[in-house]
Amino acid sequence: MTPLQLILLGVVLAPGAVFALFSLLWLLGWDAPERALTRTTAIVYSVATAAVAWMAWAMHMAGLESIAVPLGDWFTVHDYHFPLVLLADRLSLPFLALTVILVGLIGQFSATYLHRDPGFARFYILLHLFAFGALLIFSAGSFDLIIGGWEMVGLTSVLLISFFHYRLGPVEGALHVFTIYRACDIGLITAAFALHHYAHTASFVNGMPQVSSGDATVIGLLLLLSAAGKSAQVPFSGWLPRAMEGPTPSSAIFYGAISVHAGAYLLLRAQPILAESSIASGAVVLVGLMTALHGTIVGRTSADAKTSLAYAALAQVGVVFMEIGFGWTWVPVMHIIGHAMVRTLQFLRAPSMLRDYHQVHAAAGGQVEKTGKHLESMFPPGVQLWLYRLAMDRGHLDTILERGFVQPLLALSGLLARLDRMGLGAGGPRPEQTRSHRWLISRFR
Amino acid sequence: MSEHGNPKEHLRHVVKHVAHFLPAQGPIGVFIHHNTLHAFQHLPFEKAVLEASNLFQTEPYMTEVEYRDALSRSRIRAEDIDAVLAREADAEIVPGLQRRNLWRAMLTPGVRAFDAAGTAWRMEEGDLAEDFRSPSLRALFHACLALTEAVQSVRPPAGRAADEVVHPWLIRLCSVFLDQGMSYWPMPGREEGFYLAVRKLLSQPGALYPQGLSGVGEEFRRQIVREDSAEDVVMAFLGLDQNNWEPRLREELLALPGWPGLFSQLENDPALFPHDPVPCSLADFLAVRLTLVKVALENGECAAPPPAADPEAERIARAAALYDAARLAKLTAAIVDAWTPQRWSRFVVEVESFDSLERRRVYHLAYERWHEQQILLGLASNRRENPPTNRRLRPLAQVFFCIDEREESIRRALEEVDPLVETFSAAGFFGVAVEYKGIDDARGVSLCPVVVKPQHAIRELATAEDAWLQEQRLFRRRLLARLSRTIQVGSRSLVRGALSTAVLGTLTAVPLITRVLAPRQYGKLRDILNRAFLPVPRTELTLMRDDESSQDKVEGLLLGFSHTEKADRVASVLVPAGLTQGFSRLVVILGHGSTSLNNPHESAYDCGACGGRRGGPNARLFAMMANRPPIRAELATRGIVIPDDTWFIGGDHDTCSDHITLFDLEAVPPTHTDALNTLRVSFDMARARNAHERSRRFESCPPNATPEAALRHVEERSEHLAQPRQECGHATNAVCFVGRREVTRGLFLDRRSFLVSYDPNGDPADENLARLMGAVVPVCGGINLEYYFSRVDNERYGCGSKLPHNVTGLIGVMNGQASDLRTGLPLQMVEIHEPVRILFVVETTPERLEQVILGNPIVKEFVVNRWIRIATMDPDTGRIQIRRDAGYEDLQGELPTLPTAPSSIAWYQGKMDHLPMARIQSAANGGNR
Repeated sequence: MTPLQLILLGVVLAPGAVFALFSLLWLLGWDAPERALTRTTAIVYSVATAAVAWMAWAMHMAGLESIAVPLGDWFTVHDYHFPLVLLADRLSLPFLALTVILVGLIGQFSATYLHRDPGFARFYILLHLFAFGALLIFSAGSFDLIIGGWEMVGLTSVLLISFFHYRLGPVEGALHVFTIYRACDIGLITAAFALHHYAHTASFVNGMPQVSSGDATVIGLLLLLSAAGKSAQVPFSGWLPRAMEGPTPSSAIFYGAISVHAGAYLLLRAQPILAESSIASGAVVLVGLMTALHGTIVGRTSADAKTSLAYAALAQVGVVFMEIGFGWTWVPVMHIIGHAMVRTLQFLRAPSMLRDYHQVHAAAGGQVEKTGKHLESMFPPGVQLWLYRLAMDRGHLDTILERGFVQPLLALSGLLARLDRMGLGAGGPRPEQTRSHRWLISRFR
Repeated sequence: MSEHGNPKEHLRHVVKHVAHFLPAQGPIGVFIHHNTLHAFQHLPFEKAVLEASNLFQTEPYMTEVEYRDALSRSRIRAEDIDAVLAREADAEIVPGLQRRNLWRAMLTPGVRAFDAAGTAWRMEEGDLAEDFRSPSLRALFHACLALTEAVQSVRPPAGRAADEVVHPWLIRLCSVFLDQGMSYWPMPGREEGFYLAVRKLLSQPGALYPQGLSGVGEEFRRQIVREDSAEDVVMAFLGLDQNNWEPRLREELLALPGWPGLFSQLENDPALFPHDPVPCSLADFLAVRLTLVKVALENGECAAPPPAADPEAERIARAAALYDAARLAKLTAAIVDAWTPQRWSRFVVEVESFDSLERRRVYHLAYERWHEQQILLGLASNRRENPPTNRRLRPLAQVFFCIDEREESIRRALEEVDPLVETFSAAGFFGVAVEYKGIDDARGVSLCPVVVKPQHAIRELATAEDAWLQEQRLFRRRLLARLSRTIQVGSRSLVRGALSTAVLGTLTAVPLITRVLAPRQYGKLRDILNRAFLPVPRTELTLMRDDESSQDKVEGLLLGFSHTEKADRVASVLVPAGLTQGFSRLVVILGHGSTSLNNPHESAYDCGACGGRRGGPNARLFAMMANRPPIRAELATRGIVIPDDTWFIGGDHDTCSDHITLFDLEAVPPTHTDALNTLRVSFDMARARNAHERSRRFESCPPNATPEAALRHVEERSEHLAQPRQECGHATNAVCFVGRREVTRGLFLDRRSFLVSYDPNGDPADENLARLMGAVVPVCGGINLEYYFSRVDNERYGCGSKLPHNVTGLIGVMNGQASDLRTGLPLQMVEIHEPVRILFVVETTPERLEQVILGNPIVKEFVVNRWIRIATMDPDTGRIQIRRDAGYEDLQGELPTLPTAPSSIAWYQGKMDHLPMARIQSAANGGNR
């Protein structure tokens, strides 16, 4: 292995190793002191930042387009195999850099922010797992491997939303997000299957597999489903404000910076496939457009700091989706990086909004320019009210999902359960009434 | 059926009454400490906390586990429990078993708690199984079990399923209605009031509501057709039985108390709105809430009552609790079996009436007694060893601080650094209740205790020669404001946001990285840039109103003070403090405030006596007034002779960063320059030491840091975006000493004691004491009780951990995106607080104090209902007497010899916990009078 390959492997595996180490020690009963966690985090991510910088520089000097690290096959059946391969190219490098820098910063921030919180170690362990997952997504050489990272990011996201698990709100929010994530993950998994089926590989180390236009439509739409779920695009946007139940630094890095852009990265990766299908890229543009409009109108009526930032972020991610749908590459990448930086800082400073506004108000002599009087007032009053309510209820998206999807699904499963009971003989003994159960109980009395 | 007369009148009456139970916290930008249970203050403390606990489902005291922990580390001693029990009525329960003995046994080592779910398991594998290894205990248990009857336990009420549907909507509606500038698009029609605006909004056709709320549009449309007012809607919901109104309304309001609490506050005082007032009324809120609830109930949103517990399991749990008490009371199976049924049932009643709440009450009283003994015995010992002496030398300087307990340490540090400095304290608005507008402020704000309405307006203006600088400053600040606003709004909008984030966003990495990695340096850089860009003009305060013709009225306020008024203000601070002669050459008045970032609760750290704002302007104003020759002439006629060579300087102490700013130094006469420079050096050393003492509580500051390093540490705290504990605030406050500094000088009081300078010798008619007590009892009592309640039940009386807080509408914080408004203090402010009622020690005699107490209804309520504890120290003999219900009681116990330490640092170095009183030698040997 060349030094560059080793570095790439090291950067990706280091957070995973730290995660494994600390969680193992934790399981063994070690109560890690805060300093051990924060120091390790600081060291790992400053070294990783330097490593990524050096990797980019060395690749540039050597004129390398990409480096791949084949790690062998996960498994092989005849000529069917799942290669595990890491890839650093011009698309993944900026994302790798963004991830290590921001995770490092958030680690530093949280050292103070979460000081003395009972969940301190849990937060850091999850942060490392998240970093590992995100780096895996951004350095994966195949869609199969992306799935691995994708799930880790999703899981840590959910676990950090429910960080304050002794309250009802965070747990409910986390469950909601988990459901949407899982439902949308079907897209990515099926897309990977489809690629294996159509192109016999889901790897893109040697260029994106060639598929026909029709197949590209199917795969593109499946990937879009997955990306839309992860990036909270319409119609899944309702989970994003619910994700604000977690501690601020995790809100910042997940929903201001990295996780929320992971969907966009997936589509950027799949751009050659999208390019094959005008339907798929049209759908990406459409979803992006709807999200941008949705985000901006809902954001305009949000009166709390975190929700208003979440929807502001959403609007920009919608624009990024549109840019990807148009077939651009560098514009969305620049947009994502700039946006991630701005939003991270804004999330971290969210509690300052009170003071910021008071200062602006005082400096402006009490005459702050009124907003919401231009565009909004162009509509007739009835439409204004309608629009305002639509925005306040976040586009009724949750209600649409609830009434159009969840309730029919529940009704169907209820029906199936009834059928099931009829088929198996209604009125049969419940497990605790069987003789074997009673015997078991008596044994342990 | 109007048994209460006009139903509307009755409704208003009921609503007004029920509103008392809502949290009384205004918009969070101005945080005013008050007794969380203000609505219960007419009741004795122990009764009030129980009633409130029933009503709000809150904890009245700390948990039993915490008291047991205090017991195990001798924070509660057996003698404290005995002393408390001695004040409780004793009785013989059964022959050979006295109530006090039973209670003592149940408290120490203490009974265990049993519940229906876990007892069976504990009998098989847990602590009960351990007990049963002893045959006698096993026999006792079975004896108890055989005698125990099953009881019908009280079912918890069914949950409110409708709330789950209603609250998300209601919270969003409230937050957009009250929004002060957070959202881009303000709620349409909100100037008509909450009910009308919501009705108009939700009655529009074409909406999609969740199942539980479907039909809400029709409901509001029906109300429009009927031309209902908010009150009509509420009455229609409540029905005809007026006796039922109050409980119904209370239940509805307490299901989500924070938001209606704010409505109620803003209805009573619309001036609390920081920026955009909207008409607020609790009836409006209720009309909306009840309409939504009605619709949800009609849609079948009702929760099933929780499943019943197994009665046998409950009986076993009950028996286990009785067994545990019997075991601790050294009863045996034989004794219990021999009892008649009457005896057994007396025993049961006795044990069960000494339930967890009662036990915690006794624990708490014992917990407070320990503290009372520590403080009073310490004070008495010190008073005996070091009686106040007459001053020998003219002090180098005299410094007035706020009475705030956080200033205790810097006073001590200053006295240690320079024993020739004399310190005093007065409530931090320094007698000048003003409506103040600085050169950078958009409008005037009241700088005085909230109970006072200022009559006078003070404006800060640039001096004539610096007027051009002020013009420039104004212009540039406007420019900055516009730029900052454009960025704030633009980055959140669609098109501008896309352009700016895509093109310039990456540049944000610079502030992002520096602010997180080097916050203190970032703050310094920002200050340098500010100074370079924004010129600072010299300013003066418009305090003149020397003749009748200049009584220009500004918004109903008098502009500035007349001569007499000025003299009154100055005298009102100097006379009670006993500073009427022997002035030093420099007298410094230090107000205080706290600067921190990313902290919605910032105002809660500011000066309570200035209504949750900074006291610097008051100090500056006071000094300017006291320096005017005509005022001094007027004061001289009242017996306050200020020598010509005395100069007053106002200043501001930042309790977070420990910065001290002195004002108007260019006006100081050149003759005083040397003295001033000496004093400033002392200030610098004192604030570094103060930072060092504060840092002993911070785990993140290395314990071996030098004072200078500690100063840098606290500066960083003040600039750190991620810091949830910028400072400890009023946490640990527990004492208020009203008396001469000479009595407490040289004592290490651990930043836990409010200090009020009061000279009992110059107050024959107790007028000064009455005025002081009238001001400090509500302020210190309010602070102390807010900390108490936020500490004993942080989730419900307090606002929980700061970490998930989310600023909403610029008026409050929620947890996450849709919770109730969180009121009270956050966990990070109270975690090191010891919840004890504040102990006042007043240098006077019981007779004099009693007169003062009875003369002021507010003070009387605090004292008589025991919301504060109070004791007197005789000014001449030092005899300490504690006020009990039955009268004043002499302090009992042997006077300890106080430990001594050469300096404060030597006493606290390396220790993080609360520290006992000690004598600090270097602070004690001053030129006291």
